[in-house]
Amino acid sequence: MTRPVVAPPAPWSFPAATEHVLPNGLRVLLHDLPGQYVLSMRAVVPTSLATEDREVEGVSSMMARLLDEGTQEHDPEEFAELLERHGMAIGAGVSDGGLLVDVDVPQSHLGTAAHLVTAALATPVFPEDEVRRILRSRLAEIEQERASAAHRAAREVARTLWADTDRASRPTAGTVETVSAITRDHLVERHARTVGPRGATLVLAGDLTGLPVLDLLTDSLGAWEAPDHVPPPAALAPVPAADRARVVVVDRPGAVQTEIVVACPGPDRSTPHGWAPHPVASFVVGGSPGARLDAVLREEKGYTYGVRAAFRPRVAGGSFVTSGSVRSEVTGEAVEILLGILDGARDGFTATELRTGVDFVGKTAPGRYATADAVADETAALALEGLPLDFTTRNLAAVAALTLEDLDAAYRRTATGEWTVVLVGDAASVVPALEGRVPGPVTTVGR
Amino acid sequence: MPLDYPIHRRTLPNGLRVVVSPDHTVPNVTVNLWVGVGSRHEQAGRTGFAHLFEHLMFQGSRQVRSGEHFEALMAEGGRLNATTWFDRTNYFETVPTGALELALWLEADRHGHLLDAVSQENLDNQRDVVKEEKRQRYDNQPYGNALIDVYAAVFPEGHPYHHPTIGSMEDLDAASLEDVHAFFRRHYAPDNTVLTLCGDIDPDTGFALVERYFGDLDARVQDPRPPLAQLEPLTDPVRVERREAVPNDRLHVAFRLPVDESDELVAATVALDCLGGLSSSRLVRRLVRREQTAVGVHATAWGFVDGVSLGFVVLDVAPGSDPADLEAALVEELERLAAEGPTEAELEASVAQSERAWLSALASQEERADLLSRYTLLHDDPDVVNTHLDRVRAVTADDVVAATRRWLDPRSRAVVAYLVPDAADEEAVA
Repeated sequence: MTRPVVAPPAPWSFPAATEHVLPNGLRVLLHDLPGQYVLSMRAVVPTSLATEDREVEGVSSMMARLLDEGTQEHDPEEFAELLERHGMAIGAGVSDGGLLVDVDVPQSHLGTAAHLVTAALATPVFPEDEVRRILRSRLAEIEQERASAAHRAAREVARTLWADTDRASRPTAGTVETVSAITRDHLVERHARTVGPRGATLVLAGDLTGLPVLDLLTDSLGAWEAPDHVPPPAALAPVPAADRARVVVVDRPGAVQTEIVVACPGPDRSTPHGWAPHPVASFVVGGSPGARLDAVLREEKGYTYGVRAAFRPRVAGGSFVTSGSVRSEVTGEAVEILLGILDGARDGFTATELRTGVDFVGKTAPGRYATADAVADETAALALEGLPLDFTTRNLAAVAALTLEDLDAAYRRTATGEWTVVLVGDAASVVPALEGRVPGPVTTVGR
Repeated sequence: MPLDYPIHRRTLPNGLRVVVSPDHTVPNVTVNLWVGVGSRHEQAGRTGFAHLFEHLMFQGSRQVRSGEHFEALMAEGGRLNATTWFDRTNYFETVPTGALELALWLEADRHGHLLDAVSQENLDNQRDVVKEEKRQRYDNQPYGNALIDVYAAVFPEGHPYHHPTIGSMEDLDAASLEDVHAFFRRHYAPDNTVLTLCGDIDPDTGFALVERYFGDLDARVQDPRPPLAQLEPLTDPVRVERREAVPNDRLHVAFRLPVDESDELVAATVALDCLGGLSSSRLVRRLVRREQTAVGVHATAWGFVDGVSLGFVVLDVAPGSDPADLEAALVEELERLAAEGPTEAELEASVAQSERAWLSALASQEERADLLSRYTLLHDDPDVVNTHLDRVRAVTADDVVAATRRWLDPRSRAVVAYLVPDAADEEAVA
């Protein structure tokens, strides 16, 4: 049987949204996606972590986790039961750019869902019992994160990459000290000041056939008032640490693997140089088993299950992060190879790599955005980042038109060779193995 | 009322079962193959082999060089992978419609002619990669080996589900090229495989294309043994205790359950939902919300086909609380559920959550294809995709009581406890 020829894909664009504004100023974006019977709702409220008081950092995250733990109308158990009896799943969290409440609900329960989300956003009561419980579970979660090599590495990367004075250098959901200092009053105040319809966006995606969507939303979220809400200051890119180009080993005596993370500051999606080259570059460097990193570290050497590289845009600024784990005894060599590949890519990519990366990013788009969930997530991200609704489609056109010069220039702008390297592993064996293999100073920290 | 996803099926003369489910909303097709071999088919001394073998399926075949399967499909906008589980191994890619034939050609080449390309070098390399996967996902994770302890505690020595899919380091080391050849010949054949096409394709075109690329593959006479008889619940509690550097005490309380696709398993799943599978479940209300002795409670049921399924409740113990108190509370709630049955609200919540989860899974072309392959391979009935929810909705309070009494009797529990080391032990070590 001979190898078949591939027919080129038909043109495609990201599903269009219709845009509406409710009487209270809330922006609504609707995606009607026939056949998607579970609706995905996202409420996006821009907020700034930088406005948290230093002593109670994490207060925004804790506030978000308490939104569905009791409202003026329903006690926490009633609320949970109502959600579940109507087939809803709800989550709420905070990122560098804002509060995101996400809800999945079958078509037939949209009205109930809209009312419950409104109650969670507008009238949470933060019962003292639930506050204590959520704060205690955050403390337990901190211990769980400390025990996970990947989480522990992420925390050390933030601390090393960004300046001590910058909020981005510390955990979004707070530390043992700051979470222990949070009281109900802090949460009530944080909610009143930062959560409101002004500047917020409600995204709804799914099969909206026959649903009086705007009426349902107007009767619920349209009545959301927040008189004390102060929209946040403009987001600023995190300030990199002056001494970020160094190696930090987090000691885990006896660990069978070393978690490796290599990072540097990177752009956000509104970069004036254009976002298009970035997903292509990360795919070619570390986005598949055939990419530069895994071609050597996995397929040739067998040192790892896989190493991934990705640009991580924030609302302002971002980072370029490469991560993976290797067995302890090859750590020194693996780190040297990994840094060599990241630095070597500054010499330029090949025409084949460009074509492969462009085709992968461009041609996977219809499938990556095929569900209500994925469409709602992308549109919510655009809302949070302040990007226009045609960004996704225009970016795909820019990806298709990318040249080798664009790709090389974008990679070189970010990958300057000043790497923050964090290794979570057995320091007694890892540190000696690094000698002569890594640039910059090596320091070791405890668990 | 059943759902109405279109389902067309045909069996090729060589035994390959083909399912086509058209959906033209996106210009993509998912190709999904389920091969009837998983870790339950592994021989003693070769645990982990089905999964290691799955890795070798990406290292080249008669007309495809090592790594080319990934490269060729990704360059055409394909997203792909493969996984291994107790009852099966699956291979899948979602590609733009124009790349469907390339995907079928690549799949047919490796499913028919893998052995032409298998080499000692590829085996050694992927053995190393799989050992790193085991270290990353099990050995270097807190509680990473807890479920492996659960399988060994719940299922008897020598039972197909006694050992985990990832296998052991010793058995991975022992795997040889001869094993690869024998395994392929025994298990990889059109008459032990289901191929589903889901997406932008019509049934006639789909069947014709599959016939074109897979029609030449030879059937192999198979004599699969019938499934084992239903394993009865444990007669006495089993207990495994580990003291490790974990962030908090955690209990896994596990039970043998009835086999996949039985009414009893559906009822037992609802019972586990009422206990701990939902945020309004009774154990969550009691231990997480009211007594605050647990920081988390979860409950899950996994359907298997070879004579038994697995259900378990996970209790994350709050700092300062006694795991024994949590276990006692679980026993009490099991007895109460067996005596009084679920409330109307619990039943309603369980059904509503099952509905959303099922419809969400079907919303994705990839997952829909995977479920169609699953029910065709394991139960010869892809239409379960459309009828499953009716079965869930039909569960009554009496069914839940009966399932709880028979399958979730506290005396039939296996407890795997991962406990923070005693301060006294640590001092002794220091």
